[in-house]
This record gives sequence, structure tokens and C-alpha cells, in this order.
Amino acid sequence: MTQKKLSVRIDGELVNATEGQSILQVARAAGKYIPTLCYLEGLSSVGACRLCIVEVSGSGRLLPACTTPVQDGMSVTTNSPKLARYRRITLELLFAERNHTCSVCVSNGNCELQAMAKTLGVTSIRYPHNFPKLPVDLSHTRYVLDHNRCILCTRCVRVCAEVEGAHVWAVTARGIQSKIVSDLNQQWGEASNCTSCGKCVQACPTGALAEKGFAVEEMTKRSDHISMIAGRKGVHA
Amino acid sequence: MPRIQDIGTFNEVRESGMAKLVPPVPRIGIGMGTCGRGNGAEGVYHGFAEAIDRTGAEVVLANLGCFGCCSEEPIVNIRVPGRPLILLHQVQADDCKRILTDITTGKLTPDRVYCKIEEWDHITTHIRYGPGYPEIPHWHEVPFFKGQKKIVLRNCGFINPDDIEEYIAVGGYQALYKVLIDNRPEMVIEQIKASKLRGRGGAGYLTGNKWEFMARAKAEQKYVICNADEGDPGAYMNRNEIESDPHSLLEGMIIGGYVMGATQGIVYVRAEYPLAVHRLTRAVEQAREYGMLGQDILGRGFSFDIQIVEGAGAFVCGEETALIASLEGYAGRPRPRPPFPAQKGLWGMPTNINNVETWYNVAPIVMKGPAWFTETGSPKSAGTKVFSLVGKVHSTGLVELPLGTPLKTLVYDIGEGGVNGRSIKAVQSGGPSGGCIPQEMFDTPVDYESLAQLGAIMGSGGMVVMDEDNCMVDVSRFFLEFTHSESCGKCVPCRVGLNKALRILNAFTEGNATSQHLEVLDELGRMIRDCSLCGLGQSAPNPVLTTMRHFRHEFEDHILAHRCRAGVCQELALSPCENSCPLHMNIPRFLQLYKEGRLEEAFESVIMDNPLPASTGRVCQHPCDNRCRRQSIDEAVNMRDVHRFIADSVLLSDKYEDAVARIVARRMEPTGRKIAIAGAGPTGLTCAFYMAMLGHSVTIIESQPAPGGMLRYALPEYRLPKTVLDREIGLIEKLGVQFAYNQRVGFDVPLNELDDNYDAVFIAIGTWKESWLYLAGTELKGVYPALNFLEMVAKGESVKLGKRVAVIGGGNAAIDSARTAMRMGAEVNIIYRRERKDMPAIEEETEAARQEGARFSFLAAPHRIIGGPDGSVKAIEVVKTRLGEYDSSGRRKPVLTDEIQRFDCDAVVLAVGEVLDLDFARASGLQIKESGTIDYDRFSLETSRPRFYAGGDAISGASNVSNAMGYGKKAARIMDERLMGVQRWHDVFPSFEYDRTVPHETSQCRRHAGHHIPVSIRMRAADSIFPEVVDGLTPLEATEEANRCLRCDVKTVGAH
Repeated sequence: MTQKKLSVRIDGELVNATEGQSILQVARAAGKYIPTLCYLEGLSSVGACRLCIVEVSGSGRLLPACTTPVQDGMSVTTNSPKLARYRRITLELLFAERNHTCSVCVSNGNCELQAMAKTLGVTSIRYPHNFPKLPVDLSHTRYVLDHNRCILCTRCVRVCAEVEGAHVWAVTARGIQSKIVSDLNQQWGEASNCTSCGKCVQACPTGALAEKGFAVEEMTKRSDHISMIAGRKGVHA
Repeated sequence: MPRIQDIGTFNEVRESGMAKLVPPVPRIGIGMGTCGRGNGAEGVYHGFAEAIDRTGAEVVLANLGCFGCCSEEPIVNIRVPGRPLILLHQVQADDCKRILTDITTGKLTPDRVYCKIEEWDHITTHIRYGPGYPEIPHWHEVPFFKGQKKIVLRNCGFINPDDIEEYIAVGGYQALYKVLIDNRPEMVIEQIKASKLRGRGGAGYLTGNKWEFMARAKAEQKYVICNADEGDPGAYMNRNEIESDPHSLLEGMIIGGYVMGATQGIVYVRAEYPLAVHRLTRAVEQAREYGMLGQDILGRGFSFDIQIVEGAGAFVCGEETALIASLEGYAGRPRPRPPFPAQKGLWGMPTNINNVETWYNVAPIVMKGPAWFTETGSPKSAGTKVFSLVGKVHSTGLVELPLGTPLKTLVYDIGEGGVNGRSIKAVQSGGPSGGCIPQEMFDTPVDYESLAQLGAIMGSGGMVVMDEDNCMVDVSRFFLEFTHSESCGKCVPCRVGLNKALRILNAFTEGNATSQHLEVLDELGRMIRDCSLCGLGQSAPNPVLTTMRHFRHEFEDHILAHRCRAGVCQELALSPCENSCPLHMNIPRFLQLYKEGRLEEAFESVIMDNPLPASTGRVCQHPCDNRCRRQSIDEAVNMRDVHRFIADSVLLSDKYEDAVARIVARRMEPTGRKIAIAGAGPTGLTCAFYMAMLGHSVTIIESQPAPGGMLRYALPEYRLPKTVLDREIGLIEKLGVQFAYNQRVGFDVPLNELDDNYDAVFIAIGTWKESWLYLAGTELKGVYPALNFLEMVAKGESVKLGKRVAVIGGGNAAIDSARTAMRMGAEVNIIYRRERKDMPAIEEETEAARQEGARFSFLAAPHRIIGGPDGSVKAIEVVKTRLGEYDSSGRRKPVLTDEIQRFDCDAVVLAVGEVLDLDFARASGLQIKESGTIDYDRFSLETSRPRFYAGGDAISGASNVSNAMGYGKKAARIMDERLMGVQRWHDVFPSFEYDRTVPHETSQCRRHAGHHIPVSIRMRAADSIFPEVVDGLTPLEATEEANRCLRCDVKTVGAH
């Protein structure tokens, strides 16, 4: 079945699209930049981080580019003073939620959250920090889970379920208490489903999931490999 | 009972149901909803059952749903064949025997009778009960029901919810039968579309469009779902609807399932509604049994079944995508739309979700047609909506009104206004997702568009009324705390944004916020609203954004003045009484010091907080009484009279000199700064006291020949003896304050001169000018403005009043004039345009005036004053008024009628309100506001001219003594800080060591009031001076009152 061809305007520029594509996919294909954190090519989109919100003419609402399908004749604005302001607030909120201390982080210099702050020009946080007391799970022989650095993007949850098929990760509790858990809220090292494949570590945008044996700034990740594997498996277009 | 397969059987069931509903013997129905049970309906039911058993009376007892008026529960309805249905309210178990006797003997004891219903429109049928009982009001004559139209609640409180036959008897399942026989589903969708029915869950999407969307979807399996996950605090309409009439829901869903091509229905209901779940389960079982559910419904070949699923208690599951996730066994977290449920819903199949109330509207629209439905409501919002009216309102309950009804009808006409006469401040519409609508905007029609314009939403229909005791910052914090704890945590704006917003709001209530927080909170609120994934996050900031829009001054008060006017935010107040006192007196402290037998120290505590304690102890409006927590046990502590007692015990005794010497000794070192104060009234005197204590050199410029202002010239001797006042002012003189009498600022003393000679100037003049009424005859001899009249009497000038005096007005000046005139031997008639309860005068004073012989003519406005040939007053004509619509003060506006009455009189005193003398105001060179008062900064009291401050009546308009003194005190604090550049304020006040524990046992003693001396004595003058009417407390009474204090100032519980 051939998919219907559509034409869409992105920041005033006319681009071609295929029915079923998301705004984000079309915009990226056309070389337009839309910031994302919870999105990872190859995994299902959940629209959770809200960084990819865009303005669509005719809709009073701001829509997440990652989950909104394009429609013929749609006109999308990917950046505006309002969007930039809102995106900065989103990042500020993430920084104020848990204990993101870059100077002691394995991912310092290689962190998507940190990079995004630089790109969007976030230099200070106007909200009171929560400084929650969160545990670090060192029980796995090869990997570490540090909740202090987690932004709840759920990429680990999705990669484990959709690519590896192991369903180790899930989110427990709700609201500000939400937390990533392995299996039935056991220590990661005791999670019997875990295949120790490390895909979750590679998918994680921050230093929350890391390999053991790395010091500050040493952990680099290859989330592009995840997208590649997922593409090969045909998990998600 | 076999399944109904044809119209014959259907009609047989209908007959059988009707025989239960309207039996040939009397029937007693008891409202057994959750609200009724909570108020003892089960006891009432058993009471009746026992009484019937014992007497063997031929009476049918039935278990019914709820009729809506929650504040009147338990409701019992009684029908004797051929007579109207009688509703009894607040019935208790021990009334049962008597009521049963009444029924069997045919008479009716009136004490529990609420109203009667002669006929009822069930929409799907009409029942005539019969005429009778002319003395009992019809249901729609009771304020709570006036204007209500029951479409959704058509059967609630009439039928037994556990009996399908009674539902069929009132026309139930007819609509379903009709739809199945017609066999044209697309016609039904057209009808729903034409009816303009909108989703009653909150968003208000057009139901017909949603149905059409779903009907077009092609799939093997489709679902219809009823969203009964009602979780808003203060909203319970869905619970009551299901408890009272579950079959209406089922019928709506079966019709929906048929026309949209679904074969499975699911009701997702809150597990916290056990009775609703129970009754719904019974209803589904019965519907299956009677052939309304299952295979081959009503013999027409359609198959459909309904499953009940209990929610797991998450608010977010009211969001349709989260509800579907929950049904599928996942955690209740929403997902982005599209795809919409109608494309990909439960188990990936097309799914239609509607709110409970939406389903209830289906059968009536099918039976009566869309044209009938659109007759009710407003053009864009057709039909009715059920609201749960709760909070600080007199009558609470479920109210069904046509959409577009103004909010004030709901709050004032149906809810009958505030509780105990308190003034209503706002309504929160739509629960935690909705917004606050301020009282000034109660003209707003309640429909989807109008509410959205105000930043609120209709939501599911919760209407929480808030009054002056509610702090709007705290209200928004409360709702945000709710949504914050219910956020699923999936998207960042809702999960983290609400957490940050809550922390900022907490800072407000704790007094730690800054002006910057207002901006940050506003921006964050908008971001959460615009960026969140689902309806919960998108609407969660509404309460904050609307309260910040409509009640910004309350937020500013919390930041800039560290003040919570409502006294809710505990960190910002010592105790409720202190918070309500304009002078912020430390009331618990002086009560405790006195209780410990330390009278001198108690006096020191009192006078340092309030430099005119004996005067205020007599004439203060005592706002502290209204806030006292002792009211929850019996009555407020009589703080004013204890404070008067302490003041009198020192000021009017030989302890005076010592006490004064001690205060004077506390005066700080001279600062060399010179302060001028215009006006020696309570505001000016208070300011002078503190400025002198702070070491400044103070001069008061006064236009009268003696100090005291209103205290001396407006308050009659019988309320405040001048000897008492002189003693108090004597202390202020001893502090070195200079008085310049008979000089008017702006006239005799130019402002520039003050500017040149003083470091700061405080304008504290009073409102001495009577606002004039423009009516014929005011030029006649014998017409007096109230304050002029009182002033002349106070100065001992001769006033010719004559025998009969008419006083126009209802404030304190009117009552003071009336009582003064009676002491001069006149007969007095007080004419007021509203009712007694609306009078602004202190209630005790009004009552005393009545005892002394004053007559009152309420609902009367002056028309003209008639003079005789000699140019003096002969009579006054008044126009009768009636009370019309509610105005912005929350009182009914008097409307003139054609009826004119004439009263013969020899003098007329006009006491219709006082204003500032504008000549002075203009001469002052200060900016004047439109209201005729001096413009000033709310927080610094500074006027448009640098170093000139203003306070009291000059900025607030006519008010009362304690308010005026509060301004004087505040001005002193600010002026000193500005002059000296350091905070020295707290150094003036002595500190006291006293017991700071809560009493082990609460005193059982009742409130003592000051004693009114008998009328015969008080009206007799000695040496032309009338005795003071109210005597103070005795020492024992004062101690007992002090013992009654609950010590709200103690915030930490001691070790014991």
C-alpha cells in the first residue's frame, strides 16, 4: 500500500511528507531543529518531556512534534519567543527536580540534558531546588542506576520493552514521587528478566544509567546505535 | 420475571411498577442516598419499619434516592392516596412514631414539613398526585428549588433505585424501546446533534459529533464507556445520580451502544462510592433479568451488555486516555491524542466515553426531541447542568439549573447567601481544574463560554463557595496541592512544574515570598497550562492563575505586609483575634497577664498596643469576636470587655499616676525630628502616642477647641463618657505632644508651612461632612445632618428638636442620633431602606435603641420633607421599597415602589453616610481619588506629596474607631522607619514573661457580657448628663472571661 503524499509548511518552508509521519520526523528530514529529550529515533514516542512543542496554525494549543501526525497543508512554527521561553522553563524544572551536579557526573560533557541547556541558553535556575534524598543502585555487576540523575524520560523502559523484549524497567509511584524500577521493584542485580545487554545504558540521555568503572566525564553513550538496531528490527518506523 | 420481549409484557411491568409507586395505601419514602445515610436516614428507616410493625398500619415503606437538598437531610416523602406528596425535612428516628400516627389519623404536624409536590414531570411521564394542603408551600416556592429544572435529576428522590419496575413506571426504557423499534440509529445521532448536547464532564465537546465520529469507525468490536470517576473535591453529582436513578444511566448507554454499533459497555466508577457501585450492580442484574441487557434486547435482536469496573482511586483516570490505560490493567497514565479513542481506544478498538450526566440526557432527548431540549439553556449551551453547591453557603446540595443562569441566582437565591450573614468572596467553579470567580462577577451566566472567558471552567459542576474567612492564596494552594499529588508524573510541566508552583505558594503562606515570586508563579502557571500533556496538567494552574488575576491584592498583602487578612495562614498571625484587630493587639497576652493577677502589666500590654483602651473598650466594633475559635464551643470570648475592664481598673483609679509615670519613662531619647499631625481624632492621637514614645517631637493641629475628634463630638456621652476620654488623652499630653486647637490645616496653617517646619506630616482628618440627600425640603428648619446634630449636643449647644423626630439611615450615626434625640424627650422613628439584618450599625446598639422606645420603619426611603408656613418641618413622606436583585455588596438592592407613606414630625436627622470635606482635600494639594478620599500607597500610606502621609477616614472613607487607630499605628511605624533609617519599632514595646501553655481543661463558663443598666435609669439625666448605658464586667467576670480563652497563640504543644 503506498502512503499518501502530503505537503506541509515548516517555518514557512514547503516540505514534502508522507501520511503517518510525525511533525518531528518531517522537520528533521527537512533539516529543521526541534529540541527533544524523551524522544529517541526507533522507539515509540510518548510526548513526555514537552521540549518538542511547536505551534501549529489553526490550533490554539501547543503540540508535541514527536507525537503529532502531520496533516496536509499544516503550517508549523518550530521556534518563537514563547516556545523558547517555555522550553527553557522545562529545562530549569528538570534541573531543579533532582540532584544534577555536573562536576561529579560520569556523563559530564557527554550529557544530553547538559548539552540541551547550553543550546537553549539556560544559565540559571529560578526555582527552589528539591534536593531529594535518592538511592544509587549498585547491585548490578556491570551497571549503575543513579536516581539523582534520572529525568524520567522512560527511554530505558521503552528500549528494554520494544527492542530487547525484556521488560525490566517500569515507572512506579506518581507525580513528583515517580521513579524508575526494575522488575517488581527489586534491586537491579536481582532482576531476573535483565539480560545485561546494556541497551538502557546506551539509551539514557544523562548519567543516570552508566557502566561501572568510569570516572567523571568518562562515560560516553551511543544512543544512535539504539536507533540503528531498532531500525533493523523494524520496531518503529 | 421473564425477559420482556413484547410491548404487552412491557406494559404489564409498567402497571406493576406504578402500583408500587402510587399504591392504594399511604407510602413513606426515605431518602437513602449517601448524604441521607450520613444524616441518619437508616435510623429513620428502621424507626418507621418498627412503628409500622408495632401498629400494623397499612403503610408501604420505600427506600428512595436523594432529592438534592443536602442541608435538609434526612428527607422523607409521604403520600396519602389522592393527596400531594409531602416532603418532610431533618427527620430524626424519634419522629417516626408521631409521623406514622399523623398519617393514619390524617393530620399533619407542621414542624418537619418542608414542601409539597402536587404533580411531577418525569419528562418520560407525568404523575399527578392530587391537590391539597393549601398551607404548605409548593416545592418550587422553596428558595432552594426556585428556578431549578430537573431533567437529569427527573427521577431522583421519587423512585426506588433498587427496583427496575418503578423506573419503568415513570417512563423508563421507553426511549430504548422506541429507538429499537424505529431501527434508524443515524436518526438518533441526528437528534443528539440537533439538541446541541455538550459533554457534561468538563470540556463541553458536542456529544452528537463525538457519536457520529464513533459510529463511522469500522471495527469488529466497539466500546461505550461511562466515565463515573468523579474525583473533584466538593463535587458529588454523579454519585447522587447513580445512587438515586441508576437505570437512566443504563438506558442512555444502551441507546448509545445501539446507535454507535457497540456491543459492550463499561461503567468506570469510583471505588470510593460503595453505595453507587452496589446500586448500579443491582440495576445491571435487574436489567439483564428483564431483558434490557444481554442477547436480543426487548426482542428486537440487539445484543449489548454492561460491565462495572471500579477505579483504583486516581484522579487522573477521569482523563479518558488514562481511564482506558487503567481498564487495560496499566497504571493510569494518559497518552497523547491523536489517535482519539473513537479511532483507537480500549484494546485498540473504537471507544466512546461520556460522562454520567451526558448519558442521563439521552433518554429525554430521544423521547421529547431536540427542539424541546434546546428550549432550555442558552444558545450555545443547551439543557441543564447539575451543580453541587457546597462551601460557605447557607443551603447546600445538588442544584439543576438551565445553562446560562447567572451565578448570583445559584449563590444568593438558591444558596441563600453566606452562612451567618458572612459576606461571600468568590466561587470556585469546576473544582481543582477550575477557577475562582470573584463576587463582583456573579452576574456571569453559567455556561461553557462565559466561564472559560473568566479563566474558570464548568468542569463536572462543583461550585465551592468561599467567604471572607477564606484566604485566596491558601485556596489556590489547597487546589494545587491536590492536583500536585494527583499528577501522574509522565510529563515535565505537570510533574515538576506543579511541585515548584506549590513550593512557591507555600512560601506565600509562610510569609517568605517576594514580589519576584508573583512573576515567576504567573509565568510558570501559563507554561504548565500550555505545555502539559493532558487535561489535568493543562487545567491545574487555573485556580492559581485566576486567584492571582482577581485577588492580586491578597497575594501582595502576604508578600509586602506579611498579612493574611482572612487569618488562615498561621505563620502570618499570632492568633485569629490578633489578626482581625486593626491595632493587632496581643489579646491572648493581656488575658493571660490578667489571669495571672498581674493587672498593672496587663494594663501596660494593653495601652502599648492601643493608646485609647478605655474608649475602644466601649465603642469598638470588636471584629475579634467574629474570629474567635471559642465560637466552635459556645460563644466568642468577650475580649473587648476584659480589655475595657483592665483599662478602667487603672485609668479610672488611683493607679493612674503610677501607670502613666511608667509609660512616660519608657519614652525613647529625643531624636530631634519634628512631626505634624492634622487632626486630633483617634487616628491622629494614636500616631502621636507612638511617635512621642519613639522620641519624636509631635504637634497636633486640630480645628476643634478640644481633642478627640469623633470620640468627643460624634459619640454620645451615654456610650463614651468624656471623663474617660480626658483621662486617656491626658496620658498622651504627658508624653509631651503639643496641641494647636482651632486651626485648620490647609486654611489657617498652609501645607507649605508644614513642609518647611516639619520632617514628616500625617493627615488624619475625619469625615465630618454628611453626604447630602437631594430631596425636597432639606432646606427647612429642623433638618439636621447627623454629625452636626451630635456635635451640637456634645458641645452643649441648644438644639430645637420638637416632639417627633425622623432619623434617616441605618448606620451607627443614625442609632446614636436616635438615642440622643430620645434622651432629649423626642419620639423617634428610624427610617431605613433595607431590612434590619442589613443595617450596618452595631447590633447591640440597634437593640438598645429599640428597648429605649425607638420605632423602626424598614423598607422605606425618604421621598420629600414637608414644611409648614413658618418654614419648619411638619412631616416626611417616604416611599416603600421592596428588595430586588443582589448588588455587588451581596445584599438585595432596594427598589422603589409606588406606595407613599407620611409621618408627621418636627425634625429630621439625616444619617445617610459621611464623606471627607472636599474643600479641605483640594486645599491640601494632595491627589484625591474618585471616591473623594486622599490617594495613598496601600503599603506605605504615603500620599502624592513626599513626606506627607495619610491615614484613617481621610483615606478609607467613613469607618470606625479601631480601623482609624490601626492606620495611626501603622503610619507611626512607617514614618519612624523612614525618618531614622533603621527599624526601632519593636524597641518601644516591653516584653512580658507569661505562661505560654494551653490550659489543661477548657473552661466551661459561658460568655459574660457588659450589663445594660435599666431603661428607666439610663433615660434620666443627672446634671444634664446621661449615665453610661453599659456597665463594665466585675473582677470575677473578667477573670472568668480570661479563663475562657483557648490560647490560639500557643503553637507548640508543651512537654506535658
